[in-house]
Amino acid sequence: MNGKIVPSVCSYCGTGCGVLFQVVNGKLVGTMPLKTHPVNEGKLCIKGWHLHEYVNSPTRLRSPLIKMNGRFRQATWDKALHFASDRLKAIIEKYGPDSVGVLVSAKITNEENYLAQKFARAAIGTNNVDHCARL
Amino acid sequence: MKDQIKQWLQQGKVDIFLGYKMVEGHPLPHFFVKDRLYEVDELVTGPIRYPLEKLAIRLAAEDPEVKIGLLVRDCNRRALNVLFLWHQLNPDNVMSIPVNCCPSNLADQANCSLLKPEKAGPYKEMVGIDNNISIEEAKGFDQEERLRRWTYEFDKCIKCYGCRDACPVCFCKECSLEHHALVKTGDLPVDIPIFHLVRAVHMAGRCIDCGLCEEACPMDIPLRLLYKMVNQIVLNVFKYNPGIDSVQSPFNMLGDEVTLEPKGLNAA
Ligand code: SF4
Ligand code: SF4
Ligand code: SF4
Ligand code: SF4
Repeated sequence: MNGKIVPSVCSYCGTGCGVLFQVVNGKLVGTMPLKTHPVNEGKLCIKGWHLHEYVNSPTRLRSPLIKMNGRFRQATWDKALHFASDRLKAIIEKYGPDSVGVLVSAKITNEENYLAQKFARAAIGTNNVDHCARL
Repeated sequence: MKDQIKQWLQQGKVDIFLGYKMVEGHPLPHFFVKDRLYEVDELVTGPIRYPLEKLAIRLAAEDPEVKIGLLVRDCNRRALNVLFLWHQLNPDNVMSIPVNCCPSNLADQANCSLLKPEKAGPYKEMVGIDNNISIEEAKGFDQEERLRRWTYEFDKCIKCYGCRDACPVCFCKECSLEHHALVKTGDLPVDIPIFHLVRAVHMAGRCIDCGLCEEACPMDIPLRLLYKMVNQIVLNVFKYNPGIDSVQSPFNMLGDEVTLEPKGLNAA
């Protein structure tokens, strides 16, 4: 029997509440609020209290899917990334960079959001960057 | 204290000791084990409280034979008593080390988050219930005003279930608060006052007044006071003090056979 408590940040919304994950025998079994976290001071909303459920959910996507002939098929990361970059390149070539938009999210970190806008502006060449909260 | 914990771990008297360790400036609950005995030197105590006994129930649910040690304040002690009486933990498998929390000249420090309650703001004082007032003061309002003030408090509830999830003595496999006949899913505000009164009734003869529910409530609802009022009735009518008395609560009408086995680990 082994167990540990892992501090983390709730990934459900942009508030960023501090949480503690309870891990028993290598399995995530529960979530508690982090009491000394400056954002949530020991409180959570119902989504935060149940974070461990989506991690363990049987319907969770564990690998990328590529839609081919109207159906989603499992793919490796390499294959999915190549597929996406090839299609993006083809679209940009044909319709120009402003035909692409990048939607970022409150669920990812500040640094990841920064990288996403950098990708949009520097790699794709568009200012079409928006946020899920404005959709 | 640390030597005692090391000794217990080394001698196999406990497999896991639940205490606190400082991690990046945050005192977090920590599982101390024999393989990492050196960590025991980093054990800390302080005003921050987590329901350690709730973690113990999780561990026991995984392996009913596991021997658990834990730091206990007065509130943890009362919670353990209730959990033993309701067969949630086996007293033979639980060892505890007391830690000081109550204020006294003889103790190095008064060490409890309850000692520094937040002051109620002026609006809450005017229309709601100040969390820090006594039972007598709460009963001082006339009936109509009392209903209005409590309704104001209950109305704020965001149905996070934090009060239940933080509570060391809320352990039912199927919680009434999730029963759709009592509490509709998806609606806010919650069914008032059913949601809060169902829980209050369940806390009669069970709540050990630790205040963790209130600390977890994002809406600052005076839950501790509510359960205190309920348990004052239990004390007056049944002469029963949950967590202190060593017999089952008078509300355990179903007898010892009541099925309150620990929740499955995959259950919510
Ligand atoms: S606990 Fe709720 S409010 Fe806090 S970050 Fe998660 S989803 Fe947002
Ligand atoms: S004070 Fe709240 S958290 Fe503590 S035992 Fe009572 S109901 Fe549970
Ligand atoms: S005591 Fe009541 S509120 Fe607590 S878990 Fe059981 S049914 Fe739910
Ligand atoms: S913790 Fe407070 S807001 Fe959350 S369900 Fe309980 S009473 Fe409602």
